[in-house]
Parts: sequence; structure tokens; C-alpha cells
Amino acid sequence: MAKRDKLEIIRDILRIIKDNHGHIKMTPLLRKSNLSSRRFADYKSELLGRKLIKEVEAKKKGKEILITEKGMEFLDKYRAIVNFVSEFDL
Amino acid sequence: MVTEQALFPNTFGMELIYSFVIIFCSLIIYFSTKEIYKLSNYPGIKYFREAFLFFALAYFFKSFISFLFLIFNVRGIIEFSSIFFGVLTLFFFIYASTMAIFYLLYSIVWKNLKENLRESKFTIPLIHIFVLVISATSIIVHETGVVILLQVFVFLFIAIQNYSSYRKLKSKKKSSSIHLIYLFLFVFWMLNLSDLLIVGFGPIIELVVSLASIGIFLVILYKVTRYAGINEYGKA
Repeated sequence: MAKRDKLEIIRDILRIIKDNHGHIKMTPLLRKSNLSSRRFADYKSELLGRKLIKEVEAKKKGKEILITEKGMEFLDKYRAIVNFVSEFDL
Repeated sequence: MVTEQALFPNTFGMELIYSFVIIFCSLIIYFSTKEIYKLSNYPGIKYFREAFLFFALAYFFKSFISFLFLIFNVRGIIEFSSIFFGVLTLFFFIYASTMAIFYLLYSIVWKNLKENLRESKFTIPLIHIFVLVISATSIIVHETGVVILLQVFVFLFIAIQNYSSYRKLKSKKKSSSIHLIYLFLFVFWMLNLSDLLIVGFGPIIELVVSLASIGIFLVILYKVTRYAGINEYGKA
């Protein structure tokens, strides 16, 4: 399997959350994202900083991750971003 | 010469329209890529946008220089340099144009640089300082040759990098015409610069260079609006 680039990993994380009705607990997200704990933590803090996801208190216990409107917009525009990067060799 | 004057009675008007079209294209490219940059935070898109912002600035100063040439009726950098405002404008033009070309090159090569170099907060500011010093030096020593030589050096570097990026893309069995378009852009940019700094080329050659430059910017604009304006499912 080819190594995923940064944009692909972000897309995958956001898609996992979206496919899980827009919110997911941390442990299944870490497992499904196929990243090491350290890399996952880096991506999580970056996505939180860029407001693509947000962390909230879960209804039962612990915390869960929610995809934001901006995160949904990223997924919507992902193909355009990748095509643009590829066309201009950026 | 008489024919040329009859055909082109007002080259300044032509120059203004030309600069306006280039500035317009550059700003459209800059603003239409704002959304995909804000979403992706991708460095390559950032450098690409910066390049066109600097192109817009450079062409603004270029038309402003032409305006001053017309007002003071001089055609030579030495006479022109005695006018403080003209010197300042020329300085910003050289700085903005070199930075535009640098950013366009950097948008292609940044991913091939070593991680510590590309992640360093000092790389871009150092380039700005370097270009500022070169621009100031060429103005202070009244030496257009320094600027032209710098541009030729940058051009050769770009040509090599461009070709190497093209080879890499080809080895991945991907194709893109963008490297060829960039090469033409740099060639016509240098012709523009030579026209402004060394000699007047004459209206017909100026017109050809201007139309070709406009054509290149329009092609890039077309590609940008085409690729930056589709969603995940490929619909407009």
C-alpha cells in the first residue's frame, strides 16, 4: 500500500468521523485511522487548531470528536484541492 | 518607424491596458485560490498564491514606471534614477518581480527540499532580505546589468528545476503542461524586464511580448478556475 500524504490522512480522519454520523470516540478513531498514537496526536491537535474538528464531552462518559462545518467543507473540496496541487505540481 | 507610430500612436495606453489585464488575472488567481488554501493549509498553494500577488504588485509598479517615463520623457535608467519617486518605484518593481519568480519556483521545489530547510521559519525571510539587498544594490550602483544578470541566473536555475520536476512527474506517469507554461512565463517576463531596463524594443515587438504574456496569464487563470472550482464529485 502506498504511503499516504498529509492531505490524504486528513481526508481519511474526517471521513471516518463523517461516516460515523459526524461524531466518534477517540479510541475507535485512532484504530480506524491506521496511525501511530504519536502521529494521531499530532494530526488531532492540527485539525483542532484548524477548526476542522472539535472535541466535546460525550453524552455517556469521556470525550468524543465532532466534524465541524469547515471539516465537511474540506471533504467536499478535497478532490478540487488534490487536482489543483497535482495540475500545478505544487 | 513612421508606420509604427501611425499604428501605435499611444504605447502608454497599450501599456496600461496590458498591465491592467495582467494585474486583473493575477488578483483573480490570488483570490480564487483563497478558499482551497484556507481549507487545506497546503504550503505549495500558499507559495503559488504569493507568486501571483507579487506579479500583480510588479506589474502595478511597471505601469507606474512607464507613466513616469511618459511624464518626464526619458528612456534610460541613469537619467531616470535622479527622480526619487522613480527610483523608489523601480526598486519595488525589481523586488516584486524577483519575488514573484522566486515564489513560483518555490511552489514547485519546496517539497523536494530537506525537511529542516523547508520547515525553517528563516528560509523565506532570508530570501526576502537577499532580494531586497540585490534590488537596492542594483539601484544604488545604477547598474541594470546586475538586475538582468540576476534574472538570467534565476531563469537558468528555474529552467533546470522545472525540467527536473517535469522528469519526476513523468517518471510517476503523470502529465502536466504547467512546466512548459511556466517556462514561457519566465521567458516573456525577462523580455518585459529587458524592454523596461535596457532599451525600448519598438511598438511591434512590445505588442507581441505583451500579447504573449497576456495569453500565458489567461491560460494559467483558466487552469486555476477550472481546477479550484470543482467539488469532490467533479461537478462545477
